[in-house]
Amino acid sequence: MQAVASLRSARMKLPPYPMIELDLAAPFDQHRATVLPEWIDWNGHMNVGFYVVAFDKATDTLCNQFGCGWEYTREKIGMTFVLEAHVTYDQEVREGDPLRITSQILDHDAKRLHYIHCMYHGTEGYLAATNELMLMNIDYETRRSAPWPGWAMERLDKMAAAHKALPAPAQAGRLIGIKRKK
Amino acid sequence: MLDSLPYELPELVTRAPLDTHRSTVLSEWVDWNGHMNVAFYVTAFDQASGAFMRNVGLGRRYVDGKLGMTFVLETHVTYDREMREGAAMRFATQLLARDAKRVHLFHEMFHAEQGYLAATNETIVMNIDYATRRSAPWPAPVAVRLETLWQAHKSLPRPAKAGRVMGLPRKS
Repeated sequence: MQAVASLRSARMKLPPYPMIELDLAAPFDQHRATVLPEWIDWNGHMNVGFYVVAFDKATDTLCNQFGCGWEYTREKIGMTFVLEAHVTYDQEVREGDPLRITSQILDHDAKRLHYIHCMYHGTEGYLAATNELMLMNIDYETRRSAPWPGWAMERLDKMAAAHKALPAPAQAGRLIGIKRKK
Repeated sequence: MLDSLPYELPELVTRAPLDTHRSTVLSEWVDWNGHMNVAFYVTAFDQASGAFMRNVGLGRRYVDGKLGMTFVLETHVTYDREMREGAAMRFATQLLARDAKRVHLFHEMFHAEQGYLAATNETIVMNIDYATRRSAPWPAPVAVRLETLWQAHKSLPRPAKAGRVMGLPRKS
């Protein structure tokens, strides 16, 4: 394994692009989207894969908060890879529906982030789906896991502290199975 | 419950796991990291669920005939290795459990040429009545097929990646 000190991200005090203002609202509540026509399947609702497209864009919005969004990859510093994902499909959404996605940090360590997104219908307010994720920081050059850059870790610590008091959603930490009746 | 289906059902494949589904990573499935995006693994797995459902008699004709639909309730993916544009995929699907209106499936996605495990997907699929858009028992011929498949799949070992709960490992 390559020594951390040799990684480009570990040598950088700040990213070579501006950091946006940190939003410590808990949960993080900035991401908005609309269900696109091409996200609809033959059942007349958003297809299971496109829920994850929508959630992945919410992950981009979240990663922007700590300076690991698109520019992080464009500048060839690093990437973020999803290791594992769990989706609950709670209620249908249709073409054109507005979506509001909140993000809650559940845990983090030197190179990973464990969080959950909740997708709500933007105007009707109901919970449409949840997505629990484990995200890992990846060094661009080695394409292997690496510690978060200092600027990201500092913000992740702050966000995690702000989110710590939130109760974990019931959908977090779920085990899949068919419930057996006694 | 529907007592019959107004179309001919395909020949039932009882091999366990079900190994009929093949696919290819499309260019529009690749993201700025140069590999298949997380969402399209779910799309690819959903198509593998579609292959399982077709085998029990619930394909496009089931929806087009306004008889019913199948909805995914929950899904869990492990991303084990990257897949690039054009990569060939092979799927293996195991029936882990079934009841009157749901199936619990476990898919493995392999790189079809290099053989490595790329991802797994554990998922619950429910039968839906077309008119009410609510859950309903499987049509009778489907229930019969699921029972036959269950007999073929129930003795398979439980996959190591089934039944996962996410979390960071804690050092003691």
